[in-house]
Amino acid sequence: MGPARHSLNTLRPLNEEELSEWEEAYAAVEAYLQALRLRNRLLVAELVRSILWRASARRAAEPEKAARLLAMEEALTEVAEWTQDVLDVPLENRRLAARGRLALLLVGMPDKWQGVFLTPSPWPPAFVEAMRKSYLAAGPGFHELTMVPKPLELNAIGSGAAQWWETMDRKPIMRIMFIGMLLGIIAITVWYFFLD
Amino acid sequence: MDTHELSPPDSGKLFFSRFRTLFRRTVFFGSVVIVNIAASLWLADLFWRMGWQKAHFPLLAIFVLLNGLLVLGSFHAIFGAFDMLLGRKRSVRISNLAEGKTGPLTRRHAVVMPVYNEDSVRTCARIEAIYRSIEATGHLDSFDFFILSDTRDLDLWVMEETSWTNLCRRLDAFGKIYYRRRKTNENRKAGNIGDFVRTWGGAYESMLVLDADSLMDGADILKMTRVMEDYPRLGILQTPPKLIRGSSVFTRLQQFAMRLYGPLFIRGLNFWQLAGGSYWGHNALIRLKPFSEFCELPALPGREPFGGRILSHDFVEAALMVTQGWEVWLAWDIEGTYEEAPPTLMDHLIRDRRWCQGNLQHMWLIFARKLPFSVRMHLFMGIMAYLGSPVWFLFLLLGTWIAWDRYHSGLSQLPFESYADRWFHINGIQQSLILTAVIFALLFLPKILAVTGAILSPKTRRSFGGMFPILIGAFMETVVSMLLAPCIMAAHTLMVISIILGRAVGWGNQNRETDGTSWRDAVRFHAFPMILGAIWTVVALKISPKIEISLVFTGWMAPILLGLLLAAPVSVWTSRVRYGRALAKRKILATPEELNIPAVILLADAATSAVDPALDASLNSRRGIVAAVVDPYVNGVHVSLLEHAELTDAEEILAERCLSLGPAGLTKNELSELLYLAPAMLLMHRAVWLRSAEGIHSVWTQAVESYRRRLDHILTTEPT
Repeated sequence: MGPARHSLNTLRPLNEEELSEWEEAYAAVEAYLQALRLRNRLLVAELVRSILWRASARRAAEPEKAARLLAMEEALTEVAEWTQDVLDVPLENRRLAARGRLALLLVGMPDKWQGVFLTPSPWPPAFVEAMRKSYLAAGPGFHELTMVPKPLELNAIGSGAAQWWETMDRKPIMRIMFIGMLLGIIAITVWYFFLD
Repeated sequence: MDTHELSPPDSGKLFFSRFRTLFRRTVFFGSVVIVNIAASLWLADLFWRMGWQKAHFPLLAIFVLLNGLLVLGSFHAIFGAFDMLLGRKRSVRISNLAEGKTGPLTRRHAVVMPVYNEDSVRTCARIEAIYRSIEATGHLDSFDFFILSDTRDLDLWVMEETSWTNLCRRLDAFGKIYYRRRKTNENRKAGNIGDFVRTWGGAYESMLVLDADSLMDGADILKMTRVMEDYPRLGILQTPPKLIRGSSVFTRLQQFAMRLYGPLFIRGLNFWQLAGGSYWGHNALIRLKPFSEFCELPALPGREPFGGRILSHDFVEAALMVTQGWEVWLAWDIEGTYEEAPPTLMDHLIRDRRWCQGNLQHMWLIFARKLPFSVRMHLFMGIMAYLGSPVWFLFLLLGTWIAWDRYHSGLSQLPFESYADRWFHINGIQQSLILTAVIFALLFLPKILAVTGAILSPKTRRSFGGMFPILIGAFMETVVSMLLAPCIMAAHTLMVISIILGRAVGWGNQNRETDGTSWRDAVRFHAFPMILGAIWTVVALKISPKIEISLVFTGWMAPILLGLLLAAPVSVWTSRVRYGRALAKRKILATPEELNIPAVILLADAATSAVDPALDASLNSRRGIVAAVVDPYVNGVHVSLLEHAELTDAEEILAERCLSLGPAGLTKNELSELLYLAPAMLLMHRAVWLRSAEGIHSVWTQAVESYRRRLDHILTTEPT
């Protein structure tokens, strides 16, 4: 749970504009924790409070940065660093963040381990073991087979037709002549059988 | 030496002897040819008696072809009935071959489900049901499952990932159920399966190929794999899937007809094809090594629609297997094999358009060397399934022309002597009535045999709900199928013409559920048959100056004309789910699977593992791509499935564009590229949470806000 002993005195005194800015920061952090499916409101409130405390401390040194930006940076960093500690894997920051979030989902943090989330070590061994085993694999190791198409062996009629067909594909004039001839044959057939 | 490594000619004797195969095929096709020749000579004799004219030549030629197809179809049912009554011991029963085998499987097998823009929750529910069903047999360790996605809709892609992850979490099946999406869907479904074979096929003895709407019982899958392991010459084991879950009148009619009449045709088909069977694209077990060796499809001469890539790959794959000496069996006695049907006539015809082009491409293979007889017959029947319609249309057109010409030419009908008169002492009317009766008998005999068989067999009768539901269902199915047939004929004729004119077809996914066809859509879609019907009716009513002759001719043509004229109303009516449900309530058109739901269907109905609010990309406020960017878990899952890469400046600019313009501001290709870039997805996830509303598109801020609304909603709805 977050460090409740820290007061938010560094924020005070706040004018209306600053209050509104910190309200937005609060809302963003709270929404992120909601997005992580933390349901317990006491936990959420405590975590938001601790994150905002650190953001407010940074604000004194970085006054040009918006409160929301500072607060969310703190939130994302805290989640990433905490999961790095739990997972104990050397990954670059952003990649680690995704790996950490995935692990939280796969161990069922929102259902089973809400109380452990963002707490300092030691963590329950079952939780740590489950986190470290959580990964996704789209497929097993490759066991390749080769598939090579064998050309279609056509008989004399088929080969002739294939040559003719490909010629018509290449030369539109041949296609037009062929269609014309075909229509002519149909017309003569109709005339001979039905009109003559 | 391991028998599985041997080529088929060295790996044991043929399951069906060459003599038996030759004998059965000679009897079957000999009967078809004899009956067809007899009927054609009878018609020629009738034409002679009426006074031969030149137009009778093409009419007779078309009759020989059409009647041949009719006799071929009908004789499948007749020989099926014969096989059911007398040939029980001689038919291969997969159940018997697998009987008494209880030990563990010696090989590993894969269950593969190719998907293309499908509802991922439903797809995963089917996988879950099959998984649990195999688990119940105690042989789950021998199987791996693969969802092979070719999905092009990017939102659906993300949903597939979340559904699969949820499924694996709930079933504890990571490392058992795998998900893979192809970046480019080259060569469509055949390419998708081929990609699996090339990548992972070496680890498995066989693969059970499913469709996205397939369901199969675990115990039956186990039987099939046992048979595959025990019979080293066996290349493909195809099951005959039953249609299930029909809600609309159209699907209920289809599933009732297939369930009642289907077994006869299946047994008839099995009677002659034996080891030279076909593959229908899904619900089949395929041995992987010969498949990889021989079944990479060759390109056909020329371009699409007739040339290029083969669309209907399944027939050809079976043909290539059989040609190389591998056996392809039809596992007719496997009960637990199911699929779903298109819900409306329109959906059915849209699917047919794709199949039609694929089957017409097979004309090239008719000219291929070394193809066995059974393969050529399968290809021929597949081609004629669609080419038969324009031929029938032409036959009706010629018949109308001859009648018109006869009545308007003023020629008297001179009586000529005929063989029928000389030998049987019957007049012309009797002769034509006998031919008509034979044609009708050939048309309806399969239905009569199936209905009689179902009523006489107590087990089958009870499974359909009793004698009266069978009779009412068969009557209703007959009437509606008579009305549908001319409309389908007209639609297939148009399809064939459009393909001949060079229009290739796209690759659409199948609509599997619907509330029905709207009148507007139906009228637009069926305009051709309706206009054709109207013109044809006018012509029929004016076929002769004598009104009574015209009325007789119109009456004779009425089944065709009514089917054409009523195409839109019948299409709309049969598409209605509420009418289908009303019929189901009264157990009309009920199937055994509906009245006594099989365990695997119940498992699929109850399957919800793919749905979990903790990982959900289907909400309106953050759907698909938006969820993949905004939601910490969906983003985590998506990124974890991507290969790591470095972000270039151009890619970073693209990500920034997506942040400022929203997904709608990018092209589909740009979005797809972005979704494949892990660093870009991480950058965007971070940005949407860090930046205020001014810096990014509202679609992201609204999605972020949606998490707060959930909390606010909880707070406002809780009792005070």
